[in-house]
Amino acid sequence: MTAFIIRRLLWTIPVLLLVILLTFVLMRQIEGNPFRRTSRAVSPAVQQNLERKFNLDEPWYVQYALYVKGVFTFDLGPSLVTRDRTVNDIIKEHFPKSLELGLLAFVWAIALGIPMGVVAALRQNTAYDYTLMFISNVGYAVPSFLVATLLIYYVSLKAGLLPTNGWEGWKYKILPSFALGLLPMAYFARLVRGSMLETLQQDYVRTAKAKGLRRRRIVMVHVLRNSLIPAVTAMAPLLGFIITGTFVIEIIFSIPGIGRYFVTAISSRDYSVVMGITVLTSVIIILANLVVDILYGILDPRTRDART
Amino acid sequence: MLSRNRWLSALLLSFVAVLLVVGCGGGDDEGEDGGGGEAAADQTLKWGLGAEYVLDPGLATDTTSAKLVLNIFDPLVKLDDELNAVPSMADSWDVNGKKVVYHLKTGAKWSNGDPVTAKDYEYAWKRALSPELASDYSYQLYGIQGGVEYNECEKNCAALRDKVAVKATDDKTLEVTLTSTQPWFIQQSAHSVFLPVPQKAVEQFGERWTRPENIVTNGPFKVEAAQPSASITLVKDANWRDAANVKLERVEGRIIVDGTTAVQSFEAGEVDVLDEQLPAAETPRLKETPEYELYPGLGTTYYGFNVKENITDVNQRRAMSLAVDRQSIIDNITQANEKPADAFTPDGMPGREDVVAESSPWTPAAGDVEQAKEYMAKAKNAKKKITIYTNEGAPNKEVAEALQSMWKQIGIDSSIKILEWQQFLEFLGPPPPKAVDIYRLGWVGDFVDDINFLELWTCDSGNNNTGYCDKEYDALVAKAKQTPDNAERYSIYKELEEKLTGQEGALPFIPLWYITYPNLERESVKDTFKINLLDQVDLTQVEIKG
Repeated sequence: MTAFIIRRLLWTIPVLLLVILLTFVLMRQIEGNPFRRTSRAVSPAVQQNLERKFNLDEPWYVQYALYVKGVFTFDLGPSLVTRDRTVNDIIKEHFPKSLELGLLAFVWAIALGIPMGVVAALRQNTAYDYTLMFISNVGYAVPSFLVATLLIYYVSLKAGLLPTNGWEGWKYKILPSFALGLLPMAYFARLVRGSMLETLQQDYVRTAKAKGLRRRRIVMVHVLRNSLIPAVTAMAPLLGFIITGTFVIEIIFSIPGIGRYFVTAISSRDYSVVMGITVLTSVIIILANLVVDILYGILDPRTRDART
Repeated sequence: MLSRNRWLSALLLSFVAVLLVVGCGGGDDEGEDGGGGEAAADQTLKWGLGAEYVLDPGLATDTTSAKLVLNIFDPLVKLDDELNAVPSMADSWDVNGKKVVYHLKTGAKWSNGDPVTAKDYEYAWKRALSPELASDYSYQLYGIQGGVEYNECEKNCAALRDKVAVKATDDKTLEVTLTSTQPWFIQQSAHSVFLPVPQKAVEQFGERWTRPENIVTNGPFKVEAAQPSASITLVKDANWRDAANVKLERVEGRIIVDGTTAVQSFEAGEVDVLDEQLPAAETPRLKETPEYELYPGLGTTYYGFNVKENITDVNQRRAMSLAVDRQSIIDNITQANEKPADAFTPDGMPGREDVVAESSPWTPAAGDVEQAKEYMAKAKNAKKKITIYTNEGAPNKEVAEALQSMWKQIGIDSSIKILEWQQFLEFLGPPPPKAVDIYRLGWVGDFVDDINFLELWTCDSGNNNTGYCDKEYDALVAKAKQTPDNAERYSIYKELEEKLTGQEGALPFIPLWYITYPNLERESVKDTFKINLLDQVDLTQVEIKG
């Protein structure tokens, strides 16, 4: 297991190099000038000063090497657009907010999604099942910006129960995390329901029943544990994505997270910020996948043997 | 069995209950008004800011940042409602040809107690020109002798820095020598890039000097707290030179980028004023509320022709301009009560009544399709299949579609291409690419002289994407720059404007409308919170009424 983890961690390095290269090439392929924000053209002297300051006058391979060096020395350079901040500052200040938002959304998703799936499977084809799956379908189909806007309108504006936007205390965190958690909740509910139904048909479940085990024990220990494998597979990358920021929710609820920053950085061609956040996201997704693989081994020992 | 059922029911019910609470909220009627009748003992302004901010005057480029820095640093001059320069940190000034001398007030202090002197301004201006800072707005200081040379320097920069002709001769005198007579220079020095910066703090903390724990300011307000991308809290600086006349005690700014959320936040009573971020779709409803306020801006939205290669016949350009029903576009699409443009020089520009003595004959507000058809018939080599280029963003596509249908009436078939903003800017040139027949852009002034607008259409202008080039026009622009007398200069501007949009004008673009800044402001501050033509706010004037 340790060898496996070390091997996977070492693989991260070439993957990161490739991610940096691809992001670098893609960013340069789309036209645009990070120093021009309005219709006003940047004078040649100003443009030249800016390019020199940010090493954009160097050949591409030098710029690439500088980025790589920056990544491995944890110095991601200055932002080209928000001129009084470095990419490190931006990540340090904004990533924790996205992380918190993502984790809270995940709590909603697990706390509601898994029980929903379990109940629906155990009560297959009953009113419970239909109601829960209807809710889950709606949660899956309605885009988060609509959910968010409706929540703000009814809960904050009409009922005056919670603030409309911001990220200052627990009151501010309920609506955005729920809006963000709705889709993974619906997804988990469907996933768990499906795999529960499949597991319930398994021989070992029948055996357990025949042996006279109590139903609660059969469900909790034998069925649920095995039914969670697909959910866990989906969980880690999903977690990776939602903790690295979600543009729509962060914009609508004015949350100073990294997702909002990322999209704004792309449209303003803030190369260093885009690069920094991409690297951060990649590392997190890589780690999330590693965690899944480890969790697999715990949930299903058979998969452990296959990779040693 | 029963108990399990009850357990399941409870779970399901509680879930549905959560959804119901979330979904239905309350059925309260609207109409409770947070502002209004109460005491104004609490002079706190809650401000919903529309963008991220940068607090370094040398690096601030957007209007949200400018609104903040102009209130935490002390400009030499401010602009009044008519955009005249009025004293601020400078008590008075003398202009003698190329020589400008500002006489500063004495006794003013930085927030750390240091005296504010002319040296602080000299330092800030030279810093803004320095190639190391690479300030976007350094060009604003190009009118100062030695400014361009220092900004462009690659070596011997220290020597060139010393040659920049801005000098604090003593603590209260700042002498500037300009490259030519620039009658607009005093007004221009109200721009945020001319604000002073605290040399000690800048040198001590480097790029981090604007952090709330490091920043030193000399304006009516100082920074109490700042959370990047989230909020900023300003408090009145009791030691400011004119603090007795500042009513506001506290400004709580909160960044709300999304327009819909901003409006909702305003309606929920969380903020007192917004920062112009109203979504176009909401404007018709908001217009009817007492909190709606509309300010004119110093800017013109236009459609530029590729005159060099594609729409070469002036009669076709006239026809296309005549065919546009500006009023209908404003009433039905943009909806922010913009004024239909009848020239390039916008309303509010000093001297405009002389410069645009008569409206352009090619821009009737409601259009004139019959006349447009006549001119279209006169056009030789008219291009009847054209491509309109515009960028993404709320009303741009709809405006392009409206124009498409208006031009169809005069026999022009057009297709619309929409590009992302940055790609759009790169694509347009100059020189204009062959693919472009006509494109949308706007121009917003950053200082108050018409040269700021008319200079756009010179042959070498980096902002002239039409390919229009007239040496006589360029010569007149150069002449205007050397003409300090307002009346004389305005008469040159009149000639320039006529060359563009007059009876015999080349009409390289179609002026559409003059921009406005719609905003929401609680009635308690509406009378005193004002946005000027340059999109600036003077918080020293704001008072929260009871």
